Amino acid sequence: MSVLILLLVFVGLFALGVPIAVCIGVSTLATMLVTMAFDPAVTTIAQRMAGGLNSFALLAIPLFILSGQLMAHGGIARRLIDFSKALIGMVPGGLAFVNVISCTLFGAISGSAVAATSAIGGFMIPEMNKDGYDKNFNAALTATSATTGLLIPPSNVLIIYAVASGGVSIAALFVAGYVPGILVGLGLMAVCAYYAKRHNLPRGERVPFTVTMQKTLAALPSLFLIVLVIGGILGGIFTATEAGAIAVLYAFGLAALIYREIRVSELKEILLKSAETTAIVMFLIATSMAMSWILAYENIPAIVAGALVELSDNPIMILLLINLVLLMVGVFMDMTPAVLIFTPIFLPVATELGMSPLHFGIMMVLNLCIGLCTPPVGSILFVGCAIAKTSIGNIVRPMLPMYFAMFVVLMLVAYVPALSEFLPRWFGLIE
Amino acid sequence: MKNVLAALDHALRWALIVLMVGLVLAVTWQVISRYLFASPSSWTEEIARFLLIWIGTLGAAYAFRLNAHIGLDLLPKKLTGDAARRLHWFTQCVIIVFAVAVLVIGGSRLVYLTWDLRQYSAVLGLPIAFVYSIIPVTGVLVVIYALAAFPHVPDADTILEVE
Repeated sequence: MSVLILLLVFVGLFALGVPIAVCIGVSTLATMLVTMAFDPAVTTIAQRMAGGLNSFALLAIPLFILSGQLMAHGGIARRLIDFSKALIGMVPGGLAFVNVISCTLFGAISGSAVAATSAIGGFMIPEMNKDGYDKNFNAALTATSATTGLLIPPSNVLIIYAVASGGVSIAALFVAGYVPGILVGLGLMAVCAYYAKRHNLPRGERVPFTVTMQKTLAALPSLFLIVLVIGGILGGIFTATEAGAIAVLYAFGLAALIYREIRVSELKEILLKSAETTAIVMFLIATSMAMSWILAYENIPAIVAGALVELSDNPIMILLLINLVLLMVGVFMDMTPAVLIFTPIFLPVATELGMSPLHFGIMMVLNLCIGLCTPPVGSILFVGCAIAKTSIGNIVRPMLPMYFAMFVVLMLVAYVPALSEFLPRWFGLIE
Repeated sequence: MKNVLAALDHALRWALIVLMVGLVLAVTWQVISRYLFASPSSWTEEIARFLLIWIGTLGAAYAFRLNAHIGLDLLPKKLTGDAARRLHWFTQCVIIVFAVAVLVIGGSRLVYLTWDLRQYSAVLGLPIAFVYSIIPVTGVLVVIYALAAFPHVPDADTILEVE
């Protein structure tokens, strides 16, 4: 009964286009009112919301959002592109490879797929269009490559998962994301290689060694941020949250003082935009915390687990089912709410199957990355298409081989735990 | 009415900017103090957490103002004319119900309860009721913005421009 109310109210409001945070809040309230009086119900929700935000781990999110914003404005994207060009531009279809690598690097540093799409795509898509690449291919490639940065640390989605899962180590998740993230990048480059051969794409210019060195040197301060953040966390010098503050200071110093591409007047806008983005995420987290309380109270994870086991008692099949459900969810729902809503439901099932919460989190984020690139919804698709001046319907065809590459990596990550667990274990972050 | 809204937007924007700067400074000071003075300051952690609650709630009101909260926009984008207007009104009503019930009433009760129980924060000794008081305040803001949004049915993919 309660489950039905929760589901109906949520899906109904969601389909009508009510903001997801409000859908979560109202469906939670409706469910609670079945068994509870109004006053304690609304007080409990308000209390769960405030309590959900009262967390030191979550503080990393506004800080990484702010550092990402600073980098998006600070001329870092162009330097990463120049660096990637010097590295690999001379192969056939060079610009496609440059696109993947610079999206991955920028996504990793900034932690935002949308920022990567607009910052890198803004330079790369017009240039690729000019060189005779199909604009639909360019938009599709930028959007898919931008998602790799969500797996490669620092990554806000992984922090959100850490909180939603109730205590997986952020450091372990960060390190675990490297191999799957790089595998997706390699998978997309394999698609590029095939595409370049088939369409006989031009080579970029071969640059002299001195220029390569010069471009590398120019990009080094940007790349150093990854070393600083991850090195600091792994070395136990600072926590993930403190790493966020360091990233803000570093990005600010780099953009304002070294590259000199940011003005004080822009700073106000950057701070405001970061506060807004932070609040959208925090409001989702707050309402989800209330909902996960009612989910646990109504024993819903156990019901879902029971239903899944009913369908199949083969762990391999159940894992496949979970992945298919998440892929469907990802088509319609943004990544943050999807992680917040489905972690409390599926994580207990996955641990029952013998999966570690760390492994499950990486698999889930990778899965939802695919959903992020599937029409009809998804902000990176809109941004990519807007830059390439095409429509979402047109980029589905060139994207099919990219989906395939991502799906292959997803299956590898789902069924080979070592891909996510080897690095954190090697660093002694997990047993 | 327009002037009141504009003043409110202005105040809210500056509040968010100041809170954001405060958050960065607090966490930064935490790292610095630990290495300079060997003893990490514990008040910075507490104040940063409280700042996050304020940014999260107040910023959410601002995001309602900009119509920037994430949602599935398939249906709103398909509809035109009267149907679009009715759906937009319906969404604003749902937002108002949520804001009044959970943020204003639930939030006020939470403030009252923590005040009544004399809960103070562990390090700074701030009344928790003060920290939570931002919830009903945000609720009122969300209601104002939702009411103000009634005449503005959003176009296909533009978000509401705030002067």
